[in-house]
Amino acid sequence: MVKKLLICDDDADIVDMLEMVLDEPGFQLITETDSRKVLELVLNEKPDLLLMDLWMPVMSGDQVLQQIRSNELLKALPVMIMSASRDGQSIAMDAGASGYIAKPFDIDELVTRVHQLAE
Amino acid sequence: MEQMKLTSNMTELSSELPILGNEPGSLKLLKAALDSSISGIIITDNRLNDNPIIYCNKAFEQLSGYQRAEVIGRNCRFLQGKERDQEARQAIREAVLEGKSVTVELRNYRKDGTLFWNELYISPINGEDGKVTHFIGVQNDVTRRKNAEENLVFERRQVERKVEERTLELKENQEYLDSIVQTIRQGLLVLDPDYKVISANDFFLKTFKVEKRETIGRSLYELGNGQWNIDKLKNLLEKILPTNNPVLDFEVEHEFPHIGKKLMLLNAHRIELEGTYKDRILLAIEDITELRASENRKDDFLSVSSHELKTPLTTIKGYNQTVLKLLPSDINPKIRSMVNKIGQQVDRLQKIITNLLEMSRIQSGRLVLETEEVDLNLLVADLAEDFKETHPSHLISIEGQISGTVPGDESQLSQVMQNLISNAIKYSPDAREIKILLSEVSNFAKISVTDYGLGISVDDQKQIFDRFFRVSNVQKHFPGMGIGLYISEQIIRQHGGSLWVDSEPEKGATFSLTLPFQVKEEGHG
Repeated sequence: MVKKLLICDDDADIVDMLEMVLDEPGFQLITETDSRKVLELVLNEKPDLLLMDLWMPVMSGDQVLQQIRSNELLKALPVMIMSASRDGQSIAMDAGASGYIAKPFDIDELVTRVHQLAE
Repeated sequence: MEQMKLTSNMTELSSELPILGNEPGSLKLLKAALDSSISGIIITDNRLNDNPIIYCNKAFEQLSGYQRAEVIGRNCRFLQGKERDQEARQAIREAVLEGKSVTVELRNYRKDGTLFWNELYISPINGEDGKVTHFIGVQNDVTRRKNAEENLVFERRQVERKVEERTLELKENQEYLDSIVQTIRQGLLVLDPDYKVISANDFFLKTFKVEKRETIGRSLYELGNGQWNIDKLKNLLEKILPTNNPVLDFEVEHEFPHIGKKLMLLNAHRIELEGTYKDRILLAIEDITELRASENRKDDFLSVSSHELKTPLTTIKGYNQTVLKLLPSDINPKIRSMVNKIGQQVDRLQKIITNLLEMSRIQSGRLVLETEEVDLNLLVADLAEDFKETHPSHLISIEGQISGTVPGDESQLSQVMQNLISNAIKYSPDAREIKILLSEVSNFAKISVTDYGLGISVDDQKQIFDRFFRVSNVQKHFPGMGIGLYISEQIIRQHGGSLWVDSEPEKGATFSLTLPFQVKEEGHG
């Protein structure tokens, strides 16, 4: 079954790279670089998993995550946070992330974790 | 035997002489009486030239050491030796001229040249015409008394000098201590047991922009319109200090009306020594507002820069790994090898960035451990598996087992083991074997990593855990920054364990670490 993945990172290069390396039959990808649009995308697109950065301008990943977790319709959505910051894991977990992966990551590991969470 | 001491009343005695003179043999008796006196007695004849001695008794001979024959005919002044201008001479001269009796103390010299203090009583004898015919001199050796007196004066002067010296020393000491207190770049207050300020050093006055006169003698809590009436400080002085003396590194943040928000680090010490200073409180105040701000800036800078460095690295790594996967199986092996090498260098760069960030955190004391229960067997096995793939040149064997888990930060412990294993590989290019031994020692888990490579000399062993230290003969051939072992040691120490090395040059090295199974509760100062 194809998994719908919503990817959000303010760094367009990261988004480009993920679009290319995750281009496999098992995934359907939606990408976004503006974190403010994530909530609406989640509501409209109903992805199986959200893969999101932490440090983003205007609205940070943990803020978006908190909004998702406080929304009755969305709170069950699996959200995996990816970050290059040292405190990323604890911030992500405190905000209610389902999973965390530190940048830079192994693509194989990312794919495995995404599959696990999107089940 | 009763002896007569003739010190005074000679005039009376001489007036009684005629009575005695009437008795038969009375002159002999009188002479015997004079000779049994312990006072030296001489008589001079003022009618003769230069007032010579015409009589001396036995006691005088003993006193002066001169025989009678050496004395008769001479003026008394010979007894003064070279000291002819003694003050007492003037008194004698006046008495002789006026025909009065006088008592003086003279420094006289015996025949052998030794000094004695002579208490001399001189009494004139008047002839029928009223002129002085004779002088009677009664002499007593008062050297002992004089010496005692002089000693007393000397001792008193000594004591006075000592007191002066001591006072000066105390003053010097006080000034010395004051100058120390004034020179230190920390505010220092001395409070009495009721928290009144006894003294404040210049740095305190300068830092908190206050005048000495509005500080000394006032209660700490009243200073500067109550700006020191800080709950946390009150708590420190009144609740914590009485039972925990001294209190060190107590952090207080406070908004001051004129100088703004200050972050202060306090040391408080209550004097427990019995005496004048008992229960005084020393309060050292370090203003760490700027220091903390700059630490935060540095931390922020490092966080941001490491984040910024890691982001493009993520992209490179992602592409590289995907390219490697997409390479056709019949690709030129050279190309495959090069793509592989790019991947290895990306990993190396990633490690360097992580290490730099970790080091800065260690230095600023902000290495945060995220403690969980760590299965070291699993951690080591996983790492060994990874290294097998990336470093097929070496064979990593694992022996032993650790039962149970240790509390620790898994990613940091993993970093330490990675450092140790990659060092073992790096510094044993010609050997194949790397041995990892897992064991338990007392209440510690122990892991040893042994290689059979270059080894480390005893001198270098002492320094390899220092920051940026690199073994000199190794530097040229093995690239590196010299922070891996430094970070590893700091991490293990933070976990309450230790990391050390046993090695012999050319034979290899064994790095061992211990980790406690239970974390000791550390008292926080």
